[in-house]
This record gives sequence, C-alpha cells and structure tokens, in this order.
Amino acid sequence: MTPRKKFTRNIFIFSVLSSLSLGQANEGPSAKPLEIDLSNHKFSPQVLPVPAGRPLQIRVVNLSKETIEFESFSLNREKVVEPGKSITVRLPALKAGSYDFFDDFHQDVPEGAIVAK
Amino acid sequence: MKLSRAPLLLRLLVLTALPALPCRAQVDPWEFEVYPYATNQRGVAEFESDNAIVENGHQTGGEALASGTVPSERTFYNAYEFTYGLTDRIEAAVYLKMAQPNDSGLQWAGDNFRLRGRLFDEDVLPVNVGWYAELEWHKTPQFDDAQRELELRPILEKDFGRLAVTANPIFEKVLAGAGHNQGFEFGYDAEVAWRGARLMSPGLEFYGGTGLLDHMDPVRGQQHYLFPVVWGELPCGIEYNFGVGKGLTKGSDQTIFKFNIELERFIGAIFKASPNNGWFF
Repeated sequence: MTPRKKFTRNIFIFSVLSSLSLGQANEGPSAKPLEIDLSNHKFSPQVLPVPAGRPLQIRVVNLSKETIEFESFSLNREKVVEPGKSITVRLPALKAGSYDFFDDFHQDVPEGAIVAK
Repeated sequence: MKLSRAPLLLRLLVLTALPALPCRAQVDPWEFEVYPYATNQRGVAEFESDNAIVENGHQTGGEALASGTVPSERTFYNAYEFTYGLTDRIEAAVYLKMAQPNDSGLQWAGDNFRLRGRLFDEDVLPVNVGWYAELEWHKTPQFDDAQRELELRPILEKDFGRLAVTANPIFEKVLAGAGHNQGFEFGYDAEVAWRGARLMSPGLEFYGGTGLLDHMDPVRGQQHYLFPVVWGELPCGIEYNFGVGKGLTKGSDQTIFKFNIELERFIGAIFKASPNNGWFF
C-alpha cells in the first residue's frame, strides 16, 4: 500500500470512528427526562424551562382519553401518544430561546413552550 | 467512396434520431416532494394531494418531465397519496396518479406502492437516516413508456437549529417496458427549509436527474430544477407546500407550479408499539 493510500485509509477510518463516537455522544442526554402531561385538553406545565446547551429528553404523558400528537414545529419533532401512554422526545442541545409545542390532532389545545435558558 | 458514405449517413441518422428517443424520467412530475426522515407514526393515516402544472415546458413527448408521448407543456400532474404508519418507524403508501394534458380531460396515469422507514431515533446518528422503496406500475405509454419501475432512496436529514437540510438521492430501475435492459438511473430531491413560523415558512427545493449511473446524459440534456417554496400548517391542521420551479438546463421544463396539501389523523394501530431504542421496526 502506497503512503498516499495509507493516509487516505487512515483518514477514512478516523472519520468513521469520529462519526460513531459523535453518535454515541449524542445518544446519552445527561439529564433525567423532564415531563409534560396532557389532561383536560391542556398541557401541564404550559411553559417548560430547560437548560440551554445540553441535550435532553422530555417525557410526554397522555392522561386524556384521546390519542394526541405531540408536535414541535420549531424543534422538528412529532410523536403520537395513545391514551394512558407516554413517549420520550429526544432533543439536541438547544440555544437559549422559546420553542413551541402543541397537539396536532386537537388544534383547540392551547400551545405550550419549551424555554431554554 | 460510396461504400464508406453509407455508414456515415447511417451514423448521422442515428445521431439525429437519438435526441428524439424518449429519455427516462429521474424527475417525477407527480412527486415534487422531498421526503423527510420522520415517518407517519403507528396508526396515523395521511391523505395527500400533490399537484404540478408545467406552465412553460417542452412541445414534444419524451422530453424533460414527459416520459411518454404526451408533451409536458401545459400538462397538469395530479397525484393522491394515502399513507399509513405501520410501526413507529415504517410506513406504507399507495398512490393514484392522474394527468391532464393540454386541452384534454384528466386521465389515469399509473399507481405506486411504497414503503418508507427511519433508522434509529432522532439524533442518535450524526445525520438522521431513513430509507425508501417504491414500485411504480402503469400501462400508459402516453405518460410513461416504462411499465414497471423500482425506485430506491436513502433519506438523509440534519437539523441546524431551525434550519433543516434534507437529501433524497434517487436510484431508479426500469423493470418492464422501455429501458428495462438498462441499469439504474440517478436523480435527486433535496431541500433546505427554515422553520420560522408554523403558518408559513420559506424553503428551497432542488430536483434533478442526470441519466444512467454508468452513462450520464450531457449536462444540457439533464434535468435540474430549483423551487423556492412556502410551506406550513393552516389552523385547521392542513399542511401545504407551494412553489414555483425554474428549470436550470435546456433539458428541463422552464416553469412549473406545484401545490401539495396533506392532512393526517390517527385511525388506529394494527401492530404493537415499536421497541424503545430500536433501530428498524
């Protein structure tokens, strides 16, 4: 193998390993999942403060009798939650700011906000 | 001298005839849509209508977006798509494709069946990855001279804050009909979308086809389109995407209007919930 090919191979291996380790790093949000409940056509809490700059998980619990779709337009997330069930939404490290969430199946449910500080 | 002139004339005839041969379509006029990483969740049904009108196209069949004998100029392409989330990571869809050539009525143009999935959960991999496999069938040579086609796409998506970048490289193979003895063709759909306001946000979409993988068309014969779009969700829950496309090469149609709408609802799941931390089902 020529030195040039060897160099290219090493770069390739390094890139793959870096990508994998990046994937691993993204896999484990450090904090314990935060929680949002939905009951009586209302999210609780309506405003969820979260730490900025850190990956996190949010557990969404549907305490209502209807299937909901937890959606955040600004965060590009949408997940269906059946009655009495919960789902976990993974989020990357957020910049400080306010991010919407709503129930896409019930437009009358007031919109909530995840506020990263 | 006469003997050598005959093959020369033959060669000239073949060369003149070549551009008239129907070119394959790596750009599907019924599907000006870039597929995201996210799939329909388990039990969710989505009804979608994709529409495109070629305002300034080609006057001859087999050119640009037209893969059959009907020219693309002033043709209205109209598709209905029903999608159902089988699991939390895999969805199935059927399409009904219609077309209305200039000064004519709406006609059936073919059907598609596809499966689409996403691998892992969001942000587990550095780039979100999905897959797409579609079977097209049609016996409508006026719109497509291939009878059956297989289309495969990897789906790649990465969010940079509110900016989402999505790419669908397309690999298409004719299984029956004209071109079945050829290899895979290459095309692409891609999008850069800004998640500004839920009601209306801007985006840029790119569609194109370069010909056979092992024998690319000359650049001027390839199709490349740029669509500035607005997209969002209306208060009633209907999502829309509207754009005006501009052909960037001579082989492309020049002006296309597209308008897609979709509505999704939960209708009930037939499979159990997907396992947490799963990667395929």
